[in-house]
Order: sequence, then C-alpha cells, then structure tokens
Amino acid sequence: MKTASAVSIGGRALGLYTALAYAFLFAPILASFVFSLNSARFPTLPLSGFSTEWYAALWADTAVWQAFGNSARIAVVTGLLATVFGFGAAYTDYRYNFFGKSAYLAIALLPPTVPVIILGLAMLSFLSRIALSGQVISVIIAHVVLATPFAMAVIRLRLSQMDTALEAAAWNLGASPWQSLRYVVLPFVWPALVSALFLTMAVSFDEYAIAWFVSGLNETVPVRILSILQGSVSPEINAIGSIVFTTSICLVVLAQVIYLRAAPAKAKETN
Amino acid sequence: MNRKTNLTRRGVMKGAAAAMLATTGLSGLAPGRAHAGTTELNMLSWYGHAEPEMIAAFEEQHNVRINKKYYVGGDQMLALLAQSPPGTYDIVLSDREYIEQLAAAEMIEPLDPADYPFDDFFPEFQKMPGHWQGDTLLSVMIRFGYLGLSYNEEALSPEDVRSYEILWNERLAGKVGHFDWHLPNYGTVSKSLGHDTPFDLSDAQWQAVQDRTSALKPQAAGFFDYGGVLSSLRSGQVLAVPGIGDWITGVLRRDGAPVNTAIPDEGGLLWAESLSIGRGSRHPELAREFIRYVLSPEGQVKTATLEAYPALLPTKSGWKALAEQNPEEAERQGMVLNGSNALDVLRDGRISLRALPAQQSLDDWNEAWSTYKNL
Amino acid sequence: MHATNATLPPEERTGPADAAGAPVARLFRSARLYAGSLALPVLIWQLVFFVAPLCFLVAMSFWVVQSYRLVPGFDAGSWAKVYGMSVFWDAYARTFAMAAGAAVLISVLAFPVTYVLAFRLSPAVRRLAMLMLVVPFFTSYLVRAYTWQVFLADDGIVNAALTAIGLPDLTMLNTVFGTFVGYVTLCLPLVILLQLMSVASVDRTLIEAAQNLRCSPMRTVFRVIIPASRVGLTLGATFCFILVFGDFVSPTYLGGGNAPTLGILITDFTKAGNQWPRAAVVAITMIATLLTVAFLAVRFAYKTKGERG
Repeated sequence: MKTASAVSIGGRALGLYTALAYAFLFAPILASFVFSLNSARFPTLPLSGFSTEWYAALWADTAVWQAFGNSARIAVVTGLLATVFGFGAAYTDYRYNFFGKSAYLAIALLPPTVPVIILGLAMLSFLSRIALSGQVISVIIAHVVLATPFAMAVIRLRLSQMDTALEAAAWNLGASPWQSLRYVVLPFVWPALVSALFLTMAVSFDEYAIAWFVSGLNETVPVRILSILQGSVSPEINAIGSIVFTTSICLVVLAQVIYLRAAPAKAKETN
Repeated sequence: MNRKTNLTRRGVMKGAAAAMLATTGLSGLAPGRAHAGTTELNMLSWYGHAEPEMIAAFEEQHNVRINKKYYVGGDQMLALLAQSPPGTYDIVLSDREYIEQLAAAEMIEPLDPADYPFDDFFPEFQKMPGHWQGDTLLSVMIRFGYLGLSYNEEALSPEDVRSYEILWNERLAGKVGHFDWHLPNYGTVSKSLGHDTPFDLSDAQWQAVQDRTSALKPQAAGFFDYGGVLSSLRSGQVLAVPGIGDWITGVLRRDGAPVNTAIPDEGGLLWAESLSIGRGSRHPELAREFIRYVLSPEGQVKTATLEAYPALLPTKSGWKALAEQNPEEAERQGMVLNGSNALDVLRDGRISLRALPAQQSLDDWNEAWSTYKNL
Repeated sequence: MHATNATLPPEERTGPADAAGAPVARLFRSARLYAGSLALPVLIWQLVFFVAPLCFLVAMSFWVVQSYRLVPGFDAGSWAKVYGMSVFWDAYARTFAMAAGAAVLISVLAFPVTYVLAFRLSPAVRRLAMLMLVVPFFTSYLVRAYTWQVFLADDGIVNAALTAIGLPDLTMLNTVFGTFVGYVTLCLPLVILLQLMSVASVDRTLIEAAQNLRCSPMRTVFRVIIPASRVGLTLGATFCFILVFGDFVSPTYLGGGNAPTLGILITDFTKAGNQWPRAAVVAITMIATLLTVAFLAVRFAYKTKGERG
C-alpha cells in the first residue's frame, strides 16, 4: 500500500514536471502570440489593446512573403539532402571500419562546432570565389553542411539499436546489400529518418547567421527577423513567429493523422 | 506481409515528397527574379531606408524595383561588400566614418558635385569632412543627428541631465545602459571630461577617458544593440544611456514612452548618413536619380520621419517642406527656420563629429571596450 | 573498406561458399559501389563546402588587416595578439564553464521529461510529445529569446506574479540567470530528443527484472536505465555544450552583454576595424576545443564494457 501510493505521488510529480517543462518551452511562443495582437510596439505590461495591425503590416510586406518562400524552399531541400547524407554517414559508421574512419567522422560531424558567424564569413568568402554566393542555392549549400551532422546523430542512434545479425541474416537468405538496405535497414531506421527530416528542416528554418552572409539579397525569415530585431523592433516579428508556429503545429497534426491512418493498416498486416 | 507494409510506407513517403516538391517549387531555385520592363536597383543600408514608405514613390516614378540588404554595423557592411562581386550593390548608405574606407577599398564610385543640390544645404554641411577627398565627392549627406544623453523623464529631470555627471550618481546604480559600440561611449565620456576634440586624444587623455569609463561599470545594466536599447529604455529596465540620441528616443516618444535626449552642457556628438554609388553599378544614372530623390523636399520629409529612426535634415528646402507638411514633427525635432532651432547647439560649438580615434588605433579603443565589458 | 565483425555483406565473404573467378570480382566491385555510394556523397559535400571554407578560415587567421582591408599574407600577429589578451582567456574560461554548466544542468532538467516520454506515455502520445519538441525550433530562437525579456524584466511577468503572491522582486534580465534561461530554451528540446532515442530503447526486460528484484524506481533509473542509455545521454550533453559554447543570442539579449562570452568577443573583433583574422583565431580555438570535447564524449559514449576494465 505504502509503496504504491509513493509511486503514484512520484508519478504525479513527474507528470507535473513534464507539463512544466513543456510550459517553459511554449511560454515565450504563447507570449509572442499575445504580443502580436497587442497594439503597442514594444512588449510591455500591461497590455495596451487588441490590434491586428501587425498582421496587416506583415500582409502588405512583400519582402516577408518572399522570405517565407525562400525559407520554405531552403528548409525542404536542406532537409531532404541532409537526411540522405546523414543516413549515408551514419550507415557507413555503423557498418564499416576503414583507414581514416575517424577523419571521415570528424568531417561529417564537425560543422556545428564552428561558430556560425565565422562559418558564415568563411562560406561567403569561399562561395563568392566559385561564383555561388548571394543565391538561394548558397544558403542550401551552407545549411546542408550545418544540418547533416544532426541527421547523422539521430540516425546513428537508431542504427546502434539494430541487431547486427539482422542484415547478415538477410544476406544469408540471398539478399543483395541493396535489398537488405531497402527491406531491413530502412524500415528499421524509418522513424529516425522522419525525425531527422523534421529536425534538419527546423535547423535550416531557424538559422540566421550564415544565411545573412551568403543569401545576398534573398532574405530568409530568420534574416528578416534579425534585421527587424536589431533595426526596428516591431511586433511584426511576433506576428511572423506566430504564423510560423501555427503552420508548424498544423504540420505536426497532419503528420500525426497520416501516421495514425498508416498505423492500423500496418497492425492489421503484421497480425 | 512485410513487403506490403513497405509499400504503404513508401507510398506515404512518395506522396509527402511529391507534395513538398510541388508546393515549394524546386524550379524556383534559380537565382534572379525577372520582372518584365522593370529595372532593379540593389541597395545596402541600415535598417529601414528601403521600406515602402521611403522608396515606393521613387519606384513608381522610375518604374524601378529596389532590392534591399540591411546591415547592423559599418564593419559588417564593409565585410559584406569586400566579399561581394563589384556591381552587386548600386546604392550604399553609410555612416560618415566609413566613407574613407569605402573609397580606399574602391567599393564606391566618385560622384559629380554638380549633380546634387549642395546650394540647398546649410553651409555647415556643404563640405562635410569624410564625404570629400580634396575636391572629389565620394558620398552625399542625406540626414544627421546628435548624440548626447538619453534618459527616462520619470526618473530624471532636465536639470539632472545638464551634465553627464549624473551617470555616475548612485541614483542610477544598475540602471545605465550602453549602446554596444565604443565610439559613442568613449566620445561622450571624453566630452564629459572637457575634451574639445573627443576623438583626438593624447595618450594621457585617453587613459583618463578609460579610467572615467571604468568607474561607470558598477552603474551599467548591460550592453545592447539598437533593438536592445529601444526595449530596455521602453521597459524602464535602464534609465539613462550615453552616446545615443533622438534616433532612438524619437522612436520611443512616438510610442508614448517618457524618454528624451538631452545634449548636456559638456556637449555632444554628431552622426551623419550619406548615400554613395556602388563601384561597378550597372545603373549609375538611376542610382544618382535616387540620391537626388532623397535630397528633394519630398524625399527629405520622408527620411526625416522614417519609421525606423528619425533624423535631422541638411537641406533648407527639406526643413521648409517638413514645417509645411508635418509642423508637429518639425517643431519636435527643432527644424524651424525662424528662431532657435536644432542647428544652435552645432553653431555654439558644443557638438563634435563622431569620428575614428585620431592618435590611437581603432584596435586600442576596441580592446579597451572589450576589457571594460569584462570588468 | 572492410566490414566489421561477422557481418560481412555477401560479396565480401570469402571461403568455400564463394562462386569462383570473374563473378567474385564483379560482386566485389558492386560491394564497393554500394559502400561508396552511401559513404561518399556526404564526404564530398563536406570536403568541398565545409573543409575548403575552413582551410580558408585558417589561412585568414594569418592575414593582416590594413585600414579595414584584409590583405593575404603570412603573419602570426593575430595569434600572438589574441593569445596575449587577458580578456580572451577570461572569456574562454567563462564560456567553457557556462557551456559545461549548461550541459550538465540541461541534461539533468531534461531527464525526467525523457523518462516520462519513454515509459509513461502510450506510443501515440509519445510521438505527439516528440513532435511538440520539434515545433519550438520553427519559431525563431531569436523571437523566443527576445520574448523572454518580457518575463524576466524588472517590471516583467515573473516579478508581477511574485508581487501578487507577496514575494520580493528578483533581478533576472541581464544576468547569468537570464542567459541560462535562454540556453535552456535553445537546448532542452534537442537534449530530450537525443536522450529519448536511447532511453526509449532500453530493454524492458532489464527494467522488469530490476523491479522483480525489488529494486526501487530510483535505483532502477540509476543502476539500469542511465547506464544503458549512456550514448544518448552523452550525445545530448555534448550537443548542448556545442550549441551553448558558440551561442551569442542568449548572452546578448538575456545576459545583457555583461561578462562577454567568446561569441560576443568574436563579434567585438569584427566590429573593430574588421579584425576578421583575430575573429578567425578565436574561432579556430573554439573549434579545437569543441572537437576535443566531442571526441572525448564520443569515445566515452561508445566505450564498451570491456574497455572500461
């Protein structure tokens, strides 16, 4: 009796703590949403009155819409490339031993360790010398460099949970490496691939320092936010944040729905 | 069984990938945006100078589209220009201190003085130091402002801010904010010590400036960029900031904040922004037209009341137009041609140009500033 | 390339089972193609677009700045200058301490959440909870850090709440506390996700066995779950260290730029007459530090029991 109630108290405390942690993560986002609908230009208390003027300003600002377009394109392409590259690197690390493997891993994992403003300048200097600066593609190049290690870390973790005998079993049954990759490895790491895709898209969508340098005149959303934050401080940034937040919540719900629709089918088949 | 599962997954993945590609349009990756019949001008500037309020009229008159890139500091601007191919930017807006560097690095084109209405300028600004190299015009001044002591009116009285001394007063312990750039901070401290040439200091004077600044550290709440200064003055987190001016407090006053800028008795500094034509510009005539537009009464009124940050005007016709169109703002900024006005402090000799250090290297000043922040 | 363990792909197996002669060579080629097409793209991409700019960075640290312009050359002056500055070493020590502190603190803060997500939630709810961790990433870190100011300011939301329940006001904005609030905002979701990858896969039979042996829940966590999920815990802490070490947003917007970190110092150098070579020196030092930390962490994470001795 005593231990059971202790467990449930502990369980409740844990639950409460988790709720608080999520509240902490979402508090600035929700506050930002509130201030995006507040008429005052600076977020101070007490609130000064309901207003949609910042959304109206945003609506009229073609530069912001271009920035949204740029960011979305960059994030999607970055996410896809980084996930593919990240998988390649993670699988190589998981499967093979070869001379220079630590160098290989270092090169694959190093980018996030470089301070972004430095990486930004180095990238700009370099890309401008090969005529690849100031374009949307420049940001993609830089973001793939930056995001791949995140994808690799997530996928490598998943691979380390895979029984090494699984692939060997597939080979013994006559599968080619490509077949075993396709029918054994990929299904196993699938959740990690999805996580990696989302994570790398997020990393790209939120990166401002490198993008500022290499994007030239093609602003991305965070570059726009940075320039508003440093140059004018307008609740437009809260409005931008809120729109992005709402959109990403919708995507999350959508992903959940897709997964739930797929899951029962899967359960039926495997039974 | 297993295969079927994979097919389902693959279907979902394929569908998702296709949707992503379709919505984002991979084909749009190619650079450049073609707008039939529209010329494009690229502008590099501080925040806010290429917003529709400022440029829309010009874009319409000349059937041109202005692309903007905003920087947040002269050094960032120089770094970006240095790494961009010539011709990337047609128009460059810069602070006075950097024009010489821009010219030395061949990043801007020399200009023909006859193209611009210098007759309309107040005499003080016709030959702005730094904008000219001998008789060669490098950049055309479009606006300026003063730096002094900005303060919260509910905490400090106009009497309090007649001297920079108040910064060291215990009433402001933990409430002094710094704009995170050494020049305006050391410049005003130098002024407060009575140095007439605040940036041309002997080593002994420079040491005195550093010592005086160090004594300010216990008062300091923090070091902020433009946005940070705005927010912390607005929220009352800081009550006084040296080395900034109406370009910040003017913005806050529009928002109803009880803040103001004083030029203390010891004097203040002057900043000036100007426009240049980028080296290798493909549309130098249009860029020239843009500069003329900003100097026209119409453009001058727009730049004086710029949403991002207001400024004083160097042209007489600009003052006149502002007094007609927006008498309230003309009054607030002191741009009235008759009677006492914003040029008085300048003509009294209390204002010095914000400038790079003359006797020490910029390095020394910056290192001193980093050290101060680290105290 | 050589495969590890007993897990050779069929083409690389040798011995009597092999078909003879030409097909072996062909198969061998196809195995190399297989390995290469997985391993090489990322290598080539990072060599061209990362290592090359990085080499450029190293070269740049030896350049000189003459009246704002970078002039290529070979001058160790920037190295001597930066390493001779006490401000640099102060900032280095401070940044290292803050990053290490944040890595430990945030790992500890994250673990109970990870635990709940891994063991207390149904798979569907867990998936939703994980997605909700990715969502904050999409709302710019800049906006989130900036918005924290409203909570932490002297007249902010937190102090208003404290006053309402009769507690004294706290100074939080422009302090180290403020900076750490920003760090937690930056790192917590990622740390939870990385921890979860390991913790969720801890063998349930181990946990049940521990419980059957009357191991208390706490003891189970410390004796079973944490050792079994060392990889994820270490990686989480390492990424946290890396992110915090290079961040300048939280120290600037929530720490008020007081007590500069290396990230702020780099910005200072670039503000001082374009001293990019010195900024490069700081950057290379940071990279070396992070590389060392990451290397040690990875070794620790993947160290097998046998090696532990």
